[in-house]
Amino acid sequence: MNLDFRPVRVATGSDDEEGLLAFAGERLVAVLVRLSNLHDDMAGSWFVEASFGLRDEHQTFTDLPSAEAWIRKHVSARFESGSGATR
Amino acid sequence: VDSTFLLRRLEAIATPTAEERAVLSSIPGTIRQFRAHDDIVRLGDRPSVVCLIVEGIAARYKVSADGKRQIMSFHIPGDIPDLHSLFIDVMDHSLGALVPTSVLTIRHEIMCSIVEQHPRIAKLLWRETLIDAAVYREWIVMRDRPAYQRIAHLFCEMFLRMQAIGLADGNACEWPLTQSQMGDALGLSNVHVNRTIQELRAEELIVLEGGALTVMDWDGLMQAGEFDPLYLHLQRAA
Repeated sequence: MNLDFRPVRVATGSDDEEGLLAFAGERLVAVLVRLSNLHDDMAGSWFVEASFGLRDEHQTFTDLPSAEAWIRKHVSARFESGSGATR
Repeated sequence: VDSTFLLRRLEAIATPTAEERAVLSSIPGTIRQFRAHDDIVRLGDRPSVVCLIVEGIAARYKVSADGKRQIMSFHIPGDIPDLHSLFIDVMDHSLGALVPTSVLTIRHEIMCSIVEQHPRIAKLLWRETLIDAAVYREWIVMRDRPAYQRIAHLFCEMFLRMQAIGLADGNACEWPLTQSQMGDALGLSNVHVNRTIQELRAEELIVLEGGALTVMDWDGLMQAGEFDPLYLHLQRAA
């Protein structure tokens, strides 16, 4: 499954503005935001600001590959398991 | 001496007589110490004592199948969060210490004999239980509001409750709750809790540092939380 990330600025109302839109093919599945220095020991981590159809949100990952693996796992379960998309 | 906080709590919401005050401030029991994260009573337990908090903070909570903890209420000194165990045999939720917490455990027979001999104390405890339910109603409404309001509302509520039992010092009180505990109570991620606290701080409504909350602008904080203290039914307004 093709997972694609596009840079975006997210209006979170805080310093956490650097973000990525995560697309599975043509579908937007998540908005990731890189945590700013506001968050002390979590600064630099990737936060799932919003997700669509992934059933679990607001996770935080120390690096992008971990976030990508998480999205991939959830998207596979959702869109490639046949009945998943309508469940 | 250990049950003095119960007296303070009930004096905040009613006017006990001298005789009732004497009874309330000297209820016999056993002090038990809990570490942070220890359970005080667990879901499914059949308690034979009630737990009066005398130091620290406890929370009623449940854990969902996927391991998420939902905190349903916070309890401070003077509260008896499992008072209902006098009449409901089985705990339908757990009560855990969030920080090192001391509890006065009072045997059910003792509580029962106090309320039988002092019907007005029974009414005071009933009133306290009804206010506990009023707090739940408020939280149901509050949890639908934006993060900013939810957090401001929690600061207002906890500050007034602490102040009512004499645990506030001017416009400051202890704030031992972590962002994660606040998030578990308000249905917010740590990230949202942290962002919102920074926002309230930047607006000079609060200062939160060194385990203490200082309210810099009470009216502003109440406005931010759309907070109306009516549901706490405190006799002395802040």
